[in-house]
Amino acid sequence: MSLKPRKVDFAATWGAIRDTIRGVITLDHVPRSVWNDRFSDVYSLCVAHPEPMADRLYAETKQYLIDHVARLLNKVQEDGEAHLVKNYFTYWSQYSVGSQYLHSLYLYLNQQHIRTHKMSDAEIIYGSPDSSGGEQMEIGELALEVWQSGMIAPLGLRLVKLLLEAIDADRAQKTLPVSIEAIRGTILSFVEVQGYKKKAPLQLYQELFEEPFLNASGEHFKHDAARLLQERDVSLYMEKVKVKIEEELFRARRFLHSSSLAKVSQRCETHMVAEHLEFLYSECMNMVRGERRRDLSNMYDLLKSVQNAMQILVETVLEHIKTQGLTAVGNLQGENVHINFVENLLTVYNKYKQLIQEVFKSDQNFMGALDKACNYVINHRPNGGKCPCRSPELLAKYCDTLLKKSSKGISESEIEEKLAQSITIFKYIDDKDVFQKFYSRMLAKRLIHQQTQSMDAEETMINRLKQACGYEFTSKLHRMFTDMSVSADLNNKFQVYLKQDNIDLGINFGIYVLQAGAWPLGQAIVTPFSLPQQLEKSVQMFESFYHHRFNGRKLTWLHHLCQAELRLGHLKKSYVVTVQTFQMAILLLFESTNSLTCKEIRDTLQLNTEHFYRHAISLVESKLLWADTEELKETTVLRLNMDYSNKRTKFRITAAVQKESQQEVEQTINSVEEDRKMYLQAAIVRIMKSRKVLKHNALIQEVYAQSKVSFAPSVQLIKKCIESLIDKQYIERTAHSSEEYSYVA
Amino acid sequence: MKVTIKKWTGVATWKWVANDDNCGICRMAFDGCCPDCKLPGDDCPLVWGQCSHCFHMHCIVKWLQSQPVNQQCPMCRQEWKFNNK
Repeated sequence: MSLKPRKVDFAATWGAIRDTIRGVITLDHVPRSVWNDRFSDVYSLCVAHPEPMADRLYAETKQYLIDHVARLLNKVQEDGEAHLVKNYFTYWSQYSVGSQYLHSLYLYLNQQHIRTHKMSDAEIIYGSPDSSGGEQMEIGELALEVWQSGMIAPLGLRLVKLLLEAIDADRAQKTLPVSIEAIRGTILSFVEVQGYKKKAPLQLYQELFEEPFLNASGEHFKHDAARLLQERDVSLYMEKVKVKIEEELFRARRFLHSSSLAKVSQRCETHMVAEHLEFLYSECMNMVRGERRRDLSNMYDLLKSVQNAMQILVETVLEHIKTQGLTAVGNLQGENVHINFVENLLTVYNKYKQLIQEVFKSDQNFMGALDKACNYVINHRPNGGKCPCRSPELLAKYCDTLLKKSSKGISESEIEEKLAQSITIFKYIDDKDVFQKFYSRMLAKRLIHQQTQSMDAEETMINRLKQACGYEFTSKLHRMFTDMSVSADLNNKFQVYLKQDNIDLGINFGIYVLQAGAWPLGQAIVTPFSLPQQLEKSVQMFESFYHHRFNGRKLTWLHHLCQAELRLGHLKKSYVVTVQTFQMAILLLFESTNSLTCKEIRDTLQLNTEHFYRHAISLVESKLLWADTEELKETTVLRLNMDYSNKRTKFRITAAVQKESQQEVEQTINSVEEDRKMYLQAAIVRIMKSRKVLKHNALIQEVYAQSKVSFAPSVQLIKKCIESLIDKQYIERTAHSSEEYSYVA
Repeated sequence: MKVTIKKWTGVATWKWVANDDNCGICRMAFDGCCPDCKLPGDDCPLVWGQCSHCFHMHCIVKWLQSQPVNQQCPMCRQEWKFNNK
């Protein structure tokens, strides 16, 4: 057969084509040869000579489809309402497949004739000037279009009503009047029939079916909610609602187009959760208090999808953690307050962190609440804010206990972990500078008294603090470490020097030489002290050695920090005891006699009263000395206890050190106050120097931002610092406004 | 001997002793450091000249480098010589 255009008899050819179409559209048997002939017939009509007859073919085909669908419409309705959906689905399945075959049969027409006249995608989306009707569609589309106008248009509403009834029946768990397949197929036919549309392909589905469906479902949900609410049990209600939502989603997945799933669950949440928030909240408090995990998790799941509904739950949780935290650390007493404090806090923190992870899926809102609650608890000031917050001090003490040699029975890795945990608490502390003061003081003591458990642990801890707070925060701590290593070096050099000059000091001598500014040694309570002669040579030798090496430096001995190891030879056993220098000096005086009065000792040593009594008492309390009066007075006679015995042969007399602590706490707090002023003034000057002129509020804000890392300054304190800087003429009020400052160069 | 000292660990702090409080060049306290350093102490030492004037080492070195011809003490204009006593 030739492909050349030729003259064609339209009526005859169309007659043949029409018969085949009937076979195709009803999925009847069409032999391949017939199919091939019709395929070429379509071609020959399209290229017919002298006039192509494509338009006529198109019109006839369209008319045929319209007639066919009209016939089907009658058939669908034949068996009455009860079988409407079933019949519709049967014919639709046939027709939709048939129309696809038809589409292939008209391939040439589609491709050569219609597609070339078609509007481009852009024209469809943005609209084109001549989109006014008459547009020819590809045959497959045409068939669907005809179905829509000839079948869905007259039947649609009746179908939808029946479908909704069927879904209701499904909800009521009754047997369905029609098969699930038919329902689903019918519903999806509303989508498929517009499947070729580029613009809003779901429009028909949404308007015809989805909207009525959602409205009907909404009513149903409202009803259901009202029924469930009658039981007045929140946890039961939540359980049921969750099940309900699951069910509805399952149903939607079975019957509906996937685009509807979210809408269904949203409707459900609106009617069953959002409209009954008050009811849900009514039980919120008890649920949180009882930490009913299952209920809370249900509550979270339900509230999550409703906008702004979570807030009340979050706040309740926050309050609960606060209360729990305060109970955990309130009324702590005894020697181990610091340990209990930190460990109780950590227990609370970890417990709720875990709860939030498990129940609330680590939701940011709840994590935030945990942070807020911890922040509140840790910086809580008892007695209505009058007492200072003790957390920084207690935490520092806790670290001290861990890092000290004495902590027995815990392995190194456990200590590591506990220290790492304590950083969690540290991060919540507002007054980090107070912590730093206490920490550095305790670190200094550990270093000087050689009580550090391990230098590695110390360093790791400092690095952790540095990570949390920055370099400036730990620089002093680092300087202390430097001094320690410099001193070790110095000791070695001194020993070499002694060897070279053949000097024997008579004792094992070691020393720490510290930078005056770097150590938090307080205003060392200076007391006159005449050095025991046994030490004189060592001290002299070292001083001359030091001055020789370091020109222009002055050494100040801090005798109250020095310590000595003594061998006690006057007792049955020989003991080695570690004491402070002043205690040592007292004991050394008993070399030539067994009893001395307080006055005698004091006159020899030149110690001031306070120091003398403190150390004398510690010796009496340790039973190394006997006193003949209850209270030590000038005339009290101190006697060497010749019957002293102790289970251990090596021990330490520490009593005198501990007695200082209460006073030290106060000192520390006072010095923090001073440091803050300096810090703020420095910050103000820095800011003003770069800004030159700044408004009062802006200045306060910047100062606040800068100092936030280590403490939260009160506005009053900042104001005071500004005043004092104005007095010192670093800054001044500008001429035209009292609310503005300028920097005085 | 009733009581013998086995071992003694002394603790002492050190401070600069200069004939002035401030460095004549940078006007910063000797207890502090020169403006180029962050921390006072071993890393920012003081030095004395034979004229007995004292400066931060970093300050005087900088000063001497900026004086191509006569290396003089900035305080008394005598020739600068480090005092290594």
